[in-house]
Amino acid sequence: MIKQVFELLFGADPELRQIIGVTLRMSVMSTLISALIGIPWGVAMGANQFKGKAILSRITNTLMGLPPVVAGLIVFLMLSRSGPLGKMSLLYSVPAMVIAQVVLISPIIAGMTANIVSIRAPSINETCAGIGISGWKRLLLTIKECRIPFVTTILAGFGRSIAEVGAVQMVGGNIQFKTRVMTTAIMMQTNMGRFELAVALGVVLLIISFIINSLVHRIQEQTQRDRTA
Amino acid sequence: MIVLRDVIQQFGGRIVLEIPELHFKSGRRYGLIGENGSGKTTLIRMLAGTSKPTSGRIEGLEGKIVGYLPQSPYAFSFSVLQNAALALDGHKDAKELTKKALHAVGMESLVDARGDRLSGGEAQRMALARVLVRSYDVLLLDEPTSSTDVRSMDLIENTLREYVQKTQCTLIFSTHSPAQAFRLADEVLYLEKGRLVEQGSAETLFHSPQDERTIAFLKHWSLNS
Repeated sequence: MIKQVFELLFGADPELRQIIGVTLRMSVMSTLISALIGIPWGVAMGANQFKGKAILSRITNTLMGLPPVVAGLIVFLMLSRSGPLGKMSLLYSVPAMVIAQVVLISPIIAGMTANIVSIRAPSINETCAGIGISGWKRLLLTIKECRIPFVTTILAGFGRSIAEVGAVQMVGGNIQFKTRVMTTAIMMQTNMGRFELAVALGVVLLIISFIINSLVHRIQEQTQRDRTA
Repeated sequence: MIVLRDVIQQFGGRIVLEIPELHFKSGRRYGLIGENGSGKTTLIRMLAGTSKPTSGRIEGLEGKIVGYLPQSPYAFSFSVLQNAALALDGHKDAKELTKKALHAVGMESLVDARGDRLSGGEAQRMALARVLVRSYDVLLLDEPTSSTDVRSMDLIENTLREYVQKTQCTLIFSTHSPAQAFRLADEVLYLEKGRLVEQGSAETLFHSPQDERTIAFLKHWSLNS
């Protein structure tokens, strides 16, 4: 089996390459869109005090733990023929999988961003108030100070996206050469007893996960060094 | 003149500051002394407008330019020069004025260093320069020398004296050191448990305090420290 796994990994199996391609396309797209939604959402929550912040924070925390199958169900119902977005005919396509991923990942990025910003914001706000800096300029300074940790949140979002299975299975349908991604393929191949492809995909997923974790670790170490130097 | 009337500040139901009436005359230097939790920072933050009193009024700050150095100022991750120039964004002489302010606090050799890599004392001096680059009607400093060494403290005190003389601003600062209040302030205010216990000229308060609580607080301190 090990020999077959290596042949798949280093060979030119069209299905494996296609699965990896779809997975990366879906994960990159959903992470970017989630970052565009989650970072401003998190900055708004972390940098400011406003009425309703506590309830928004609670909603965000709840959504951070949203079960993937629930996210999948919501998006499925929205995109199904009788749903409000049914006319777009997106169900069982990569965009549908991206939408489901965005529903799952945006709150995670928002929650992490809010935590990062809320640590620095009180001191930045107080300092800026003392020298007459307010509004957008203060907000831009806050964002600039948090830019490196923001990369960590985006990488964490990508890590979550690439490893997700429940929601993408529901709205993507795991269609061969169309919406099959690494996680859904591993599940299916395991059920079918074709362990070689499942293990080969598992190895690729682990390698990607290792690279992401190494990057996050490096960024965190660098940030720590900057703060304590 | 700045006037506080019936000002009360509460946090979580606990009164942390209660001042029935207090006046700060324009152009004078006021030093706030007292132990931790006496209300010094709360009073300065309320005057700076970063904390609103639970009840009462603060009059005389409308239309005034107020500068404020918090107790833990933020050191941004760009250069010391850029950090100190933040308040002068767009000013044609920003670089020159900033360098002058950094020189005044002994930071001229660190202009290119990164703000977030400075020691506590250096960061505090950089933050002070960041405030002193421009002039204000009222300058509020919350323990401006808490992390600085004795040599730097002398330099900073001289810089503050010159700054106040030049700008004619009202200076209100808090300090853990009664000796510093004695050296820098025209008037000293002793606070305890959120209440103003005694106020008077530095000379009077240190040499003939009236309240027992002030006497008890000052007996632990030497005016040389």
